[in-house]
Amino acid sequence: MHGNTGTIIGVDLSEGRVDKINPPEEWYLCYVGGSGLAAKYFWERGDLEADPLSPEAMLLFMNGPFAGLKLSGASRSSVGGRSPLTGHWGDSSCGGYFAPELRYAGYDGIVITGRADKPSLILIEDERASIEDASDFWGLGIGETNRGLKERYGKNHRTLVIGPAGENLVKYAAILNEGHHAFGRAGFGAVMGSKNLKGIVVRATRKEMAIAHPERFAELRGDLNLRIKDALASSVMRENGTAANLEGGAFSGDVPIRNFTSNFWEEMGEALAGSTLTEKYLTRRWQCAYCTVRCKRVVEVPDGPFAIPEGPGPEYETIVSFGAMIGSMDLAAACKAGRLCNDFGMDTISAGGTIAWAMEAFERGDLTPENTGGVELRWGDMATVVEIVLPAIALRKGKLGELLSEGSIASARRIGKGSLAYTCHSKGLEAPMHDPRGGGHGLALTYAMSPRGACHVADPMLFIEMGACYYPEIGLEYELEPKTDENKPESAVISIALGAIENSACFCQFADREVTIPDWVELFNTVAGYGWDADEMMRTGRRIFHLKRLINYRFGLTAEDDDLTPRMLEPARDGEPEGIEINFSGMKAKFYELMGMDPEKGIALPETLQQHGMTGESSRVW
Amino acid sequence: MEYWKDETEPITAFLKLFEEAKKDEELSSGLKKVNQLIWFDYTEDGPNCSFHIDCRGGKIESGAGKPSETPDLIMSLSADDAHRSWSNKLNPVMAITRRKIRVKGSATGLLKLAPKLKKVATIYEGVLRDLGWQDKILK
Ligand code: SF4
Repeated sequence: MHGNTGTIIGVDLSEGRVDKINPPEEWYLCYVGGSGLAAKYFWERGDLEADPLSPEAMLLFMNGPFAGLKLSGASRSSVGGRSPLTGHWGDSSCGGYFAPELRYAGYDGIVITGRADKPSLILIEDERASIEDASDFWGLGIGETNRGLKERYGKNHRTLVIGPAGENLVKYAAILNEGHHAFGRAGFGAVMGSKNLKGIVVRATRKEMAIAHPERFAELRGDLNLRIKDALASSVMRENGTAANLEGGAFSGDVPIRNFTSNFWEEMGEALAGSTLTEKYLTRRWQCAYCTVRCKRVVEVPDGPFAIPEGPGPEYETIVSFGAMIGSMDLAAACKAGRLCNDFGMDTISAGGTIAWAMEAFERGDLTPENTGGVELRWGDMATVVEIVLPAIALRKGKLGELLSEGSIASARRIGKGSLAYTCHSKGLEAPMHDPRGGGHGLALTYAMSPRGACHVADPMLFIEMGACYYPEIGLEYELEPKTDENKPESAVISIALGAIENSACFCQFADREVTIPDWVELFNTVAGYGWDADEMMRTGRRIFHLKRLINYRFGLTAEDDDLTPRMLEPARDGEPEGIEINFSGMKAKFYELMGMDPEKGIALPETLQQHGMTGESSRVW
Repeated sequence: MEYWKDETEPITAFLKLFEEAKKDEELSSGLKKVNQLIWFDYTEDGPNCSFHIDCRGGKIESGAGKPSETPDLIMSLSADDAHRSWSNKLNPVMAITRRKIRVKGSATGLLKLAPKLKKVATIYEGVLRDLGWQDKILK
């Protein structure tokens, strides 16, 4: 096999068994790798009845075919399975250094079931894989665990670990690589915690890889690396991180403010901007393996109430989640909150979204001091967030911690009083920090259609509406106006297929904007020898999207779940998007029609599945 | 060129635009923060079709043609697209993606000014009116 290695490590923690598995080659060709291959594996071999936190639940880490090939942005990996936060299919992507190391060791992924009888870790050193005792790491934060593992095994061993939030089964617990790069979304840190799995450590001593056409690939890689490095977007992100354009977003109404109640806060844009972070707190720029974009930040807040030593800094989502979204424009506080989430191992988007909901509920009187154990939740009160709320959530401490550790939707269900109406999510996943009313109506559609729930990186719609990419070879040439529904379903059907390809190839959306459709096809053909043309690649992307939706259908989701909350669809109250209605139902109906999907079941029609070579899958749902 | 009869017209309009923009407190402090020597290069429409602004060190100066010093940032586009851009009728991100605008150098500072394009467009409309070029105003 070329590109991927064809071998996956299977770990049964209950039995203490480690096996090498060779999935059928056809799965790779049809589902690529990353979240696509994870979904296929889960569909074929996972227990779809299992509770996500039960021993039977399957947790899958999967690389893409380009991992370790020294191509900018292409050495990420995916985690997938049933999300404990949403109850249905979830996946999450992570950069950093784990994927290439796993690939060099000879594996495409790790599939984990069972529950260890004591805290454990999986150790992979080239062809050897074993389950080791990790009792002495249990209870430690991510930073300390990471350092301890490196001391024990060596500084070049790469780590994936959970913190106290994962151990305490916080529903949006994250998994971190090297203490900096996160599988943030959908709560897979809790799945690891439920399996008594503190971490995974991998080390490879060789770097051999089989590529279909090495010379052609080397030439293409040279060209792409240069283009990615020199792209304007890359230089802007290198300079000021992923929050480089936060001011522009604040102006257009893309940045959500106080739980999506406002789209305009003039001073906030500059206060939280990437350039402000650079000026005030940046000490170094950092990157994922082989990436020339270098959008990652290392920061230090030298003094003040939110002082933190030099270490991982926040990216855009964290800055807004712990900034505008909860009514604060204190950048030092956002740095501190982000650092705490890193160390506890918690998704900053869901944490910020849940706290924002709680602050609004408190203001309305729907959440009372009785529910919060006496803690007062006020917009912008970052001292309380940092000192009380985040530790309470991560450690499930007190009434407040117990409530908010379940996420905003479960919390709203528990307290009632109509508070579900002002949660901000789709399919149970708290929305990222882009408000579709200001950012673009197409984003409302793709948030709702995304199999894992509201997600801005499931596909490139955000960038497409912004004008940052276009793909004439596959019919995506529209000059879109963000705040209308014009040509949005037509763009979305292309975007979701391309997004499925990006997330299965594990190619970073910040880097791959320079990759044209002919480049994509050439990459797959030179690395993996798929023999694709653009049509076949896009058909594969749609197949992956449809499969994830079939999994969700088996979990009980239907077309009704392809929705946003009333708060997210009400016309904006101020700023550039003020008063503009999103034609959500119109866009959704058109999208279903264009995708050949059943408007009630929310899955592809039998003939659509057939066109995508999915007759076997079809027979399990139709 | 669709909007201009010769290469001097756009430069006249754009230089006047910057003179007016300087008088606006918000725009002038925004420009000073950019702190760069920028060359707006429209030479695809004629060898003299360009101008520069120098907003380094707390000043804002503009002049026709290429600057004598090496610019920190060069924005190359057609004079027509520049007209659309100052009129806020051209999405700058889209124009860059489609290579209608070619950027050389760090555009980070200029990015901070993008949200202010609406205000610039209002001033630009006034400039066109003052010059008696109402027919050039894009609606
Ligand atoms: S662009 Fe940033 S997040 Fe993406 S791979 Fe590069 S360094 Fe990592």
